[in-house]
Amino acid sequence: MNAALSRRDFFGTLSTGLGGVALASLMQREAFAATPPHFAPKARRVIQLFMNGGASQCDLFDYKPQLIARHGQKFDPGGGQRVEASISVPGALMKSPFEWAQHGQCGRWVSSALPHLARHVDDMAFLMAMRSPSNVHGPAAYLQTSGFVLPGFPCAGAWISYALGSLADNVPAFVALPDSRGLPYNGRSAFTSGFLPANHQGTIINASAPQPMTHLQPPADAKHVTPGSRADGLALLHEMNTAHAAERGDDSRLTARIESYELAARLQLSAPELLDLTGETDATKKLYGLDQSETADFGKRCLLARRMIERGVRFVQVWSGQGGGSDNWDNHSSIPKELTAAARKMDQPTAGLLMDLKARGLLEDTLLVWTTEFGRMPFTQGNSLGRDHNGGTFVSWFAGAGVKPGTAFGQSDEWSWKAVEDVTTGYDFHATLLHLLGLNHEKLSFYHNGINRRLTDVHGHVIKEICG
Amino acid sequence: MRVNRWLVALIAGVASAGAVDFEKDLHPVLRERCVECHGPKKQKAGLRLDAKAHAMKGGDDGAVIVAGKSAESAIFRRITSDDKDERMPPKGDRLTTAQIAAFREWLDTGAAWDETDADRAAARDRRLDHWAWQPVSHKQGTVDGLIAARLAEHGITPLPDGDPRTLIRRLYFDLTGLPPTFEEVEEFTREYHASKDVYARLVDRLLASPAYGERWARHWLDIAHYADTHGFERDQRRDNAWRYRDWVINALNADMPYDEFLRQQIAGDTLHPDRSDAIIATGFLAAGPWDFVGQAETPSAVLKRAARADDLDDMVTQVMTSACGVTINCARCHDHKLDPISQREYYGLTAVFAGVKRAERDAGVGGVKPGAEKRASLSTELGVIGKQLVRLGQRGLDLADIVGGGDGTGTGKAGTGINIQSGQRQIEGETRQRPKPNVPTPVAGDFIDSVFLPDGGVTGDIPVSTTGSTVRGAPKTSGETWDAIRNGTVAGQGTAKVGDTDYAAAGHSLLGLHANAAITFDLTPFRAALKTGALRFRTTVGYSGRPTTDAGADVRVYVDGEIALLSENVGPKTAPVLVDVALPEKARFLTLMSTEGRDGNIGFDQIFYGDPRITAAGQPVLTQEENAEAARLSARRDELEKKLKSLPKPEKMLVFGIKTEVPPVVKVMHRGSPEDLREEVAPGALACLAGLKPAFGGGQLTDAQRRLALANWITDPANPLTARVIVNRLWHHHFGAGLVDTPSDFGLGGGRPSHPELLDLLATELIAQKWSLKAMHRIICNSAAYRRATSPASRDALEKDAGNRLLWRGPARRLDAESVRDSVLAVSGKLNRQMHGPGWRDFDYKEEYAPVYAYKTADAPELWRRSIYRFVVRTTPHQLLTTLDCANPSNLTPARNVTTTALQSLALLNNDFILRQSAYFAERVKAIATTPGAQAELAFALAFSRSPDAEEKSAAAALISKRGLPELCRMLFNANEFVFVD
Repeated sequence: MNAALSRRDFFGTLSTGLGGVALASLMQREAFAATPPHFAPKARRVIQLFMNGGASQCDLFDYKPQLIARHGQKFDPGGGQRVEASISVPGALMKSPFEWAQHGQCGRWVSSALPHLARHVDDMAFLMAMRSPSNVHGPAAYLQTSGFVLPGFPCAGAWISYALGSLADNVPAFVALPDSRGLPYNGRSAFTSGFLPANHQGTIINASAPQPMTHLQPPADAKHVTPGSRADGLALLHEMNTAHAAERGDDSRLTARIESYELAARLQLSAPELLDLTGETDATKKLYGLDQSETADFGKRCLLARRMIERGVRFVQVWSGQGGGSDNWDNHSSIPKELTAAARKMDQPTAGLLMDLKARGLLEDTLLVWTTEFGRMPFTQGNSLGRDHNGGTFVSWFAGAGVKPGTAFGQSDEWSWKAVEDVTTGYDFHATLLHLLGLNHEKLSFYHNGINRRLTDVHGHVIKEICG
Repeated sequence: MRVNRWLVALIAGVASAGAVDFEKDLHPVLRERCVECHGPKKQKAGLRLDAKAHAMKGGDDGAVIVAGKSAESAIFRRITSDDKDERMPPKGDRLTTAQIAAFREWLDTGAAWDETDADRAAARDRRLDHWAWQPVSHKQGTVDGLIAARLAEHGITPLPDGDPRTLIRRLYFDLTGLPPTFEEVEEFTREYHASKDVYARLVDRLLASPAYGERWARHWLDIAHYADTHGFERDQRRDNAWRYRDWVINALNADMPYDEFLRQQIAGDTLHPDRSDAIIATGFLAAGPWDFVGQAETPSAVLKRAARADDLDDMVTQVMTSACGVTINCARCHDHKLDPISQREYYGLTAVFAGVKRAERDAGVGGVKPGAEKRASLSTELGVIGKQLVRLGQRGLDLADIVGGGDGTGTGKAGTGINIQSGQRQIEGETRQRPKPNVPTPVAGDFIDSVFLPDGGVTGDIPVSTTGSTVRGAPKTSGETWDAIRNGTVAGQGTAKVGDTDYAAAGHSLLGLHANAAITFDLTPFRAALKTGALRFRTTVGYSGRPTTDAGADVRVYVDGEIALLSENVGPKTAPVLVDVALPEKARFLTLMSTEGRDGNIGFDQIFYGDPRITAAGQPVLTQEENAEAARLSARRDELEKKLKSLPKPEKMLVFGIKTEVPPVVKVMHRGSPEDLREEVAPGALACLAGLKPAFGGGQLTDAQRRLALANWITDPANPLTARVIVNRLWHHHFGAGLVDTPSDFGLGGGRPSHPELLDLLATELIAQKWSLKAMHRIICNSAAYRRATSPASRDALEKDAGNRLLWRGPARRLDAESVRDSVLAVSGKLNRQMHGPGWRDFDYKEEYAPVYAYKTADAPELWRRSIYRFVVRTTPHQLLTTLDCANPSNLTPARNVTTTALQSLALLNNDFILRQSAYFAERVKAIATTPGAQAELAFALAFSRSPDAEEKSAAAALISKRGLPELCRMLFNANEFVFVD
């Protein structure tokens, strides 16, 4: 029996009172200690960049000469196909306002919206024809984070935390870095552990907040608490807890809880160093765009992501864009205006992260994944210059460990309206992610309300074509 | 499929030696080559060939044996196929030519298969023998007798009763979720030593306390996945969901019989249409998440159908899982893989709820409401005075009131709108519509000529009235509109404020005119009512859509087709548009128009006209008497308005519950896809429970009949699941583990009962006790099994049963999240015991497309109420409580996880709420005790309901002296003894 399965059996009895004796302690250790995957992994850790709002494939990566040729015409896909948009009346076909060029040895097309990333296409493997069953933010984002269009399911980071734990005992396994302007659609449920134990939830780091991590330190106005009082208090707590546990000899939940305070102390020590960028060189900071106001926020979070995986975090999720009506990739009103801004904020930091990971040799065992919840329509939204949601086709890319660089898999139709060839889904995306981490997506499961639930529901195929 | 023609030709030439004998020639082939994958173990493609009944029925793709026609029989095509992926059997050699020939002949000659006993045995569904579907057995015995017998079998000696402090603490936390006070523990201990009868009396007392309902409602709400917001990206508030939460608390406190408890939650509105509480009970069906965008906002019919299918799945799953412990949702896309539940049955159950939608409703049931009569008479008089004042030229006529069906003096209905397509008045909200543009539709009543959707993207002029007046230069639009034209806010409208004026407040009015829409007023009756020729139209135009958007809507006012006002791109950042338009004597029509503006999209184009009035152009010329009359009437009006304001508000009893409609036809969704509908199904339940009728009747059943039928099916005493499931849930919460350790799955995939006879004994007793849950609590809490000590455990018992499945020791548990928080408040002295009412909100709410719930520290008496009264936000979990494993309100949670993590320790150490409560706890202690020793003594008594021993006392006193009392209080909240209860 593999490790994940046997641990699941333990978790199955966790809530059963003394049935949980001896297990809590185990779980505690496993929450942080690396556990073996199903088979030899290509990647040991993941940084996922999530473009919140639905990044426009046809303005970034999905080059379509037909769209340029038919710019301004009424959209008729032929064959009596119905054209409908999520919240608007379809307007005319709109070519991208950006220039297109081929890049790298592989000759991938990238628009001028992403001048920095364009230089690294030979490191990436593109899924050019991803399809989402929903073109509503909530369900589509749930699908791309948790494998279900409904709320309540654990997201990928939580599953990976559950399967593998973290690589060090003083950092959490799953960290989420939301945009400083706000949480994504679905709020904090975008990092939930769902029905998995709460220790697998994403630890949220608010990179720009005075206290980036909730509960790491007491609030500044808690005057009765000082480092000294804390130390003395904890010493007394330890004594009380030890005596209490001794009277209840066999209940290892009690000792696990004593240990958790020691772990907490280690986390408190490690976190400030983790979040402190003063040790980074100016060249590195510049690489991530920390010297420019537009790129500083995303760049800082990308740099933090690198520091985290260096220190043993298993899965880091960096969000580009908040969940509201603006400041994200949900560019309904104006592609030239809104997408330009979103792309600028993301482009250089992402390229910087990729270069930095490569230069430090981290890309050898780190997977860098770029994704979004759906794409956008090849036609305008009404008379505006914006584009409405399009679940029909969108683009994601993988880079790094286990990825076949310079490849692309799948094609959308001639307008970039619908995925037509080698179509992939969020399930395939997650199956591939797990595969590269050495996990079989059909075996990684957890019993909940009568079903052995999986990240990939009952679907998913590993996309071998992009695996090296 | 590629059939091997050569092979078929070849076997055509094979003469069979006589008629094929199925039993002799073919049955062995099926058994040897087919049944491995198409038999009892595996049913690839849903096909079984191990019994006649199965084979003839076919698989997922229909029949495989067509008697008389080998060419049409899939079985023959598959054994002769050349396609590697299609050919059967897939492994090993192809069937021999002779075997294939025999199959062909057998099929062509009628596929005779004499059913044998073996066939019948194989066809019998063994899953029907599963224990949970069998009737509850009625055997003699007692709880402790049955447990003792099992312990004796294993040679385990159970632990004796816990000490009195352990017992009272266990009962308090278990039954009320709160700690006993030190004094209560002391008194109980004294009395217990005198007579153990005090224990049973304590059980009774705690069951009678209101805190019992507050505690146990939490368990039920976990299963109901109750929250106070919708969930999904537009996670809007359900401000009136709390009535259902209160209903659960009250029902449990009143010990409502459990069958009635279920019946009301499923069909209370039909059972007792005259009772508000029963209507509120159906909030159960609505408690789960709801996708506003997918259900209401999107124009995509495909997405709507998908969202509705998920919605119904949620309702069916919640009802069947909570009441019967059946994982019904596993049969949504195919027959249940483990349990004998068909996909048809799943859709039969969705048909039960097909007429149910989640919605806010008024649970008031008519009857006279306080002040209603007085209010009515005052309003009537005000109406009369209003008209008289209008006649005297003192007030203009209110266009919003006219839209609401009134005469401009306040007689219209608030909230009423005019449907742009039909011209009819309606209350219901609408979403996107695409009426035919430029068709002025007449509206009943004098004042309004017509309503229409404008689109200037046509050649020539567009009409603005029914009489043919037209305008040129109206803007091109997308042809879509939103909701109706309303006397009040339109569906989805946020604020109604412009500057400091809230036009939704009393004394103001507003006309909601979402883009793209227009309304034309006929001025003739205005002149008649105002007794003057020259008129004037005044209003303030405001925007109330998305506060962050750059987009906006265009506002136009026309007089007889001539543009009188144009204001473009009215949005969140534009100044209010003050309108003052003269309406000369000759003018006939006034047209108000809102259009989507240059973004070509109606999203968030919510325009409203505040206090829109048509008045006389000048001062009215009145006689002296008329002037005096006007003054008298004005004074009387002011007086009446004042009185009206002082009356208690006519309270609607709003609740987030259900609205019902005529159920649509329900069909099986192939593979769960709403786009692939198959045969029609009638409402019904499950066939696997012997003795219960699964069919409810045909598709003609009303919504009420359907839900009532299901409620009765579930609560039928012959239903073996319902009683077993609830007594097991009670057991689970008392002992930390159920007799069946999968409380929401009694199917073949779930756990087996550790004590089957005990489970049935309790189920029998529940029904004998007229479904009284409190009676069951009494039985469980008074059992020796429940009273046992938790330690010391013998090595022998640990080796034999470390998991305590046999119940040889008492249940020691970590407190759940809510009990930790409530206990902190109880110990600090700040717990606010106010029951019921809207939930406390420890967050700042910001209206946005995706609303923002920013948590803040709960540091005010209102926020120190029990955790059950928390306003639960679905997308933004509460950080302290979530870290302590409180349920995710998007999931049905029959059993909480119990985790121990460093983040949890950090939360209890550093969370602002905990630290502030530590300080309050210290204040409470200081007010009574002055020396560090006395303070330590009292703090221990309050936190643990015991005194510290000498060593503890001196260590605690030392900490107080050195670091202050709050630091000790903080650590007491962090102690294992605080969060674990023996």
